[in-house]
Amino acid sequence: MGIVFLVLLGVWLVVNLIKTPSDFFTVLLIGITTGSVYALIALGYTLVYGILQLINFAHGDVFALSGLVASTFVVSVFGLDETTATLGIIGGLLAILLFVVVFGATINATIEFVAYRRLRQAPRLAVLITAVGMSFIVQNVSLAIFGVNFRSVPPLISEEHVFEVGDVTYQWNQLFAVLATIPVLILLSWVVASTRHGKAMRATSQDPDAAAIMGVNVNRTISFTFLLAGGLAGVGGLLYLLEFNIRYDTGFELGLIAFTAAVLGGIGNLSGAVLGALLIGLIQAFNEGLSWHAPGSDWTRSIVFGILIAILVFRPEGLLGERTPEGA
Amino acid sequence: MSDLLVAESIRKEFGGLVAVADLDFTIPDRSIVSLIGPNGAGKTTFFNMLTGVYKPTSGRILFDETDVTAKPPHAITKLGIGRTFQNIRLFPQMTALENVLVGMHSRLKGGILGSIFGTPGVRREERDAHERGRELLRYSGIGRVDDELAENLSYGDQRRLELARALATEPKLLLLDEPTAGMNPQETAAFTEFLGKLRSERPITILLIEHDMKVVMGISERVTVLDYGEKIAEGTPQEIQSNERVIEAYLGKAAIG
Amino acid sequence: MPLMRERLRRLEFLDPLFEAWRRIPARIRGWLPVAIVAVLAAAYPYYVSSLPTDVPVILAFPDVGASVTILVFVVMAVGLNVVVGYAGLLDLGYVAFYAIGAYTAGWFASGHFEQVRFHLGSVGVSREAQGIHISVWLVLLIAGVITAVGGILIGLPTLRLRGDYLAIVTLGFGEIIPQFVRNADSLKGFDLTHGTFGISPIDSPGFGEGLHDAVGLPTSFAQSFERARLFYWAALVILLITVFCCFRLRDSRLGRAWIAIREDETAAGAMGIPLMRTKTWAYAIGAFFGGVAGAYVASFNSGAFPSQFHFNISIFLLCMVILGGMGSLWGVVIGGAILAWLNVEGLANIGAWLNAHTPLNVEVAKYQFGIYGTIIVLMMLFRPVGLIPERRRKRELEEGTPHGVLDDPLYDHRAENEREETR
Repeated sequence: MGIVFLVLLGVWLVVNLIKTPSDFFTVLLIGITTGSVYALIALGYTLVYGILQLINFAHGDVFALSGLVASTFVVSVFGLDETTATLGIIGGLLAILLFVVVFGATINATIEFVAYRRLRQAPRLAVLITAVGMSFIVQNVSLAIFGVNFRSVPPLISEEHVFEVGDVTYQWNQLFAVLATIPVLILLSWVVASTRHGKAMRATSQDPDAAAIMGVNVNRTISFTFLLAGGLAGVGGLLYLLEFNIRYDTGFELGLIAFTAAVLGGIGNLSGAVLGALLIGLIQAFNEGLSWHAPGSDWTRSIVFGILIAILVFRPEGLLGERTPEGA
Repeated sequence: MSDLLVAESIRKEFGGLVAVADLDFTIPDRSIVSLIGPNGAGKTTFFNMLTGVYKPTSGRILFDETDVTAKPPHAITKLGIGRTFQNIRLFPQMTALENVLVGMHSRLKGGILGSIFGTPGVRREERDAHERGRELLRYSGIGRVDDELAENLSYGDQRRLELARALATEPKLLLLDEPTAGMNPQETAAFTEFLGKLRSERPITILLIEHDMKVVMGISERVTVLDYGEKIAEGTPQEIQSNERVIEAYLGKAAIG
Repeated sequence: MPLMRERLRRLEFLDPLFEAWRRIPARIRGWLPVAIVAVLAAAYPYYVSSLPTDVPVILAFPDVGASVTILVFVVMAVGLNVVVGYAGLLDLGYVAFYAIGAYTAGWFASGHFEQVRFHLGSVGVSREAQGIHISVWLVLLIAGVITAVGGILIGLPTLRLRGDYLAIVTLGFGEIIPQFVRNADSLKGFDLTHGTFGISPIDSPGFGEGLHDAVGLPTSFAQSFERARLFYWAALVILLITVFCCFRLRDSRLGRAWIAIREDETAAGAMGIPLMRTKTWAYAIGAFFGGVAGAYVASFNSGAFPSQFHFNISIFLLCMVILGGMGSLWGVVIGGAILAWLNVEGLANIGAWLNAHTPLNVEVAKYQFGIYGTIIVLMMLFRPVGLIPERRRKRELEEGTPHGVLDDPLYDHRAENEREETR
């Protein structure tokens, strides 16, 4: 049955490609761009899930809060806009980037320390419920500080076209998002693979007791994971802000999209999170951008959830994950 | 005497690890047999396959002439296999009586509407079930604590309750996973005596996983030894005690009576 | 004098009261609190207008109309309690059931389907009116059943998932269904839910001419001057029925099965409980009550509007169950009533009072979901059993066993089993 569906999907894509090729490629590029930002958030979910088997519902809201904070910095603190000199923009953004990474990391780690740590021995249900509660708290904090309006920043990165192939265009600010994501991913892989903390993370996610016996400070490792995830959320918030606008509840929707991406790729699997995010980005873009029989943006949420449900039911290990025997 | 349970070429692999390797195992009707072996030999894994918690990678299990290989746990219990767990798995927030009543679930019929409206049939069934439950608790030696929460009972009482709950499922075959773990010598002796009484008073067959050799040798009619998922010996307690391979693998290190 | 103070301190003067209480036979004693509350609640419309409107902090008491909404929310909380409290399934999408119930009322008790004309026991609408107009009482039942079927369908693929995945998936359904009703105004040209406008008006319940002439019962709630009161009393009856059903179920074979699943799913299966089927029943029954509540409130509001069905409501209901006490009927009713009241007008009142009497100047109602989130987190951290713990734990607390009020042995025991399973 899944095969049939995929075939139909393929046919739909091909038809659209043939009918409006320039649209198709433009949309494709949009998909990759949003997918990169989703990847940053998805990685946060997957890192935390890998180590604690916990869906940190508040993660998306940390992302939104970071983005909102970043917007204040851009607009009010540094007063950046399209007239600022390039050097000023670069310098300003780097400074804000640094700040927002620390900010996101701190918030995320605080959430873990305050809410989840005490419940380490509690049944899953309890921690999950607490995560939901934290999500609402963070959302409300965003609401309290930034109000109900959307926040955005002036176009800091040029919206001129990087290239034009026929009618297919790609703007600099879109490219920037992808370019910015790549070094982050590289840095992340290095941290996870090579540093002591990264190894501790991997050990703890596989077997916390064994890791503890081997001398790993489990508490500190978990905090480190949350710091890392929060930092990623911060970067994501800034990048998202450069292209779109953010509101206090943006985190909820994007959080679920990113979580779906993480599950699609295989929860706990870092490359899976990136792959899943790109796929979801593409699916969303195709849904909203293509014209032949596309359901349209009204249905995006439903489609994403549909994917989530389908994966959890039919292939819970995701695309790149490993089959674990239930009840083993 | 026919065999109540026949397991043919049972194999269980977890990824690359072979937990149980092509095991043939039979349990004669109305017998008490034991399964022993060093830790990690595959005993509990085998138990879990018998009760439907794991699905064998290959092989077949016949219980009372019915193929139960792929059946879910509740169906197997309904067919007549009851069990206790290695680490006590009572329902902590339920009283002893309620734990036993849960054991009777598959033997009762009360449904939603009957329960809501309190039909005479359901009321009678519940009354009888409560009575049978208390009777069972008395029989198992814990009659005075039937309204105590399971988590508040002493360790010995909890073990007895696990057994009472398993008996409530009206099993033809009772699987006991290390039932005397953590018991002192007096408790162990009392338990062994209870098993004997059980077997002589009821039409029941018992399969025991045990580490306490006194219990094994004292009560079993047949002992099977597993090591690394394979059967390395099977016979009467006396035969096993003098089997060199067994001694080599296991008995030499364990506490003998 | 010191002697007097001593006796006062030990509340000895209350002793005769306790004596009298203990002399009431146990069977009646159990029902007395329920009866008292029920009578107080039933008489509410009569004395609500004489209640003070200037109470510190909370200001006024909810009027009858607001109370109807409060009662409906409590019904849903009791329904959710079956799923979360009894069976231990974290359902984050209960609002879906609410929506299905409301729209069922919209389909079967309004002029929405103007292509047909079908009347069955309808009151208060002319026989000439187009649409499907079935007696609202019947529609409540129909809505319950249809929602229950919906619950079963949702449960089929999802109930075999592990706890956190189940939560996310129910969250998903809780999102999809409201989004669906918002957009389903043109399914191949067919208008199912009238999109963002919703379905309105919706008929009101009533007892028809016959009963009106015979016993004086109102023909139709809509046409009565006492519309709000009538809806209030009917809601109270619905709540009582719901609580009664859940009370009976809890001590039944099925209820025991649910609690066993909640405590230790693997052991429950080993004891012969068919897991999928039993969990599905929990869903179905929870859904049933959610559907009834949804249909009723749609009739009360004379409309089913997509703006009513927000994912936040699912969390709000969850907060009620947690505040009150998972698995505890009294707890959920009281916790639910408190939170529902806060939502309907309580927070606004408190906010107004705070703004008037303190230097603060905040719009408290805006932060309500942050408040609910905080309640959830605080409860989970410090009092997971809820305000009024489940009957079983209460017994333990009364008899003074070694476990303290704030301990939760449930945590330790479960943790052991949980970790065993994830190996």
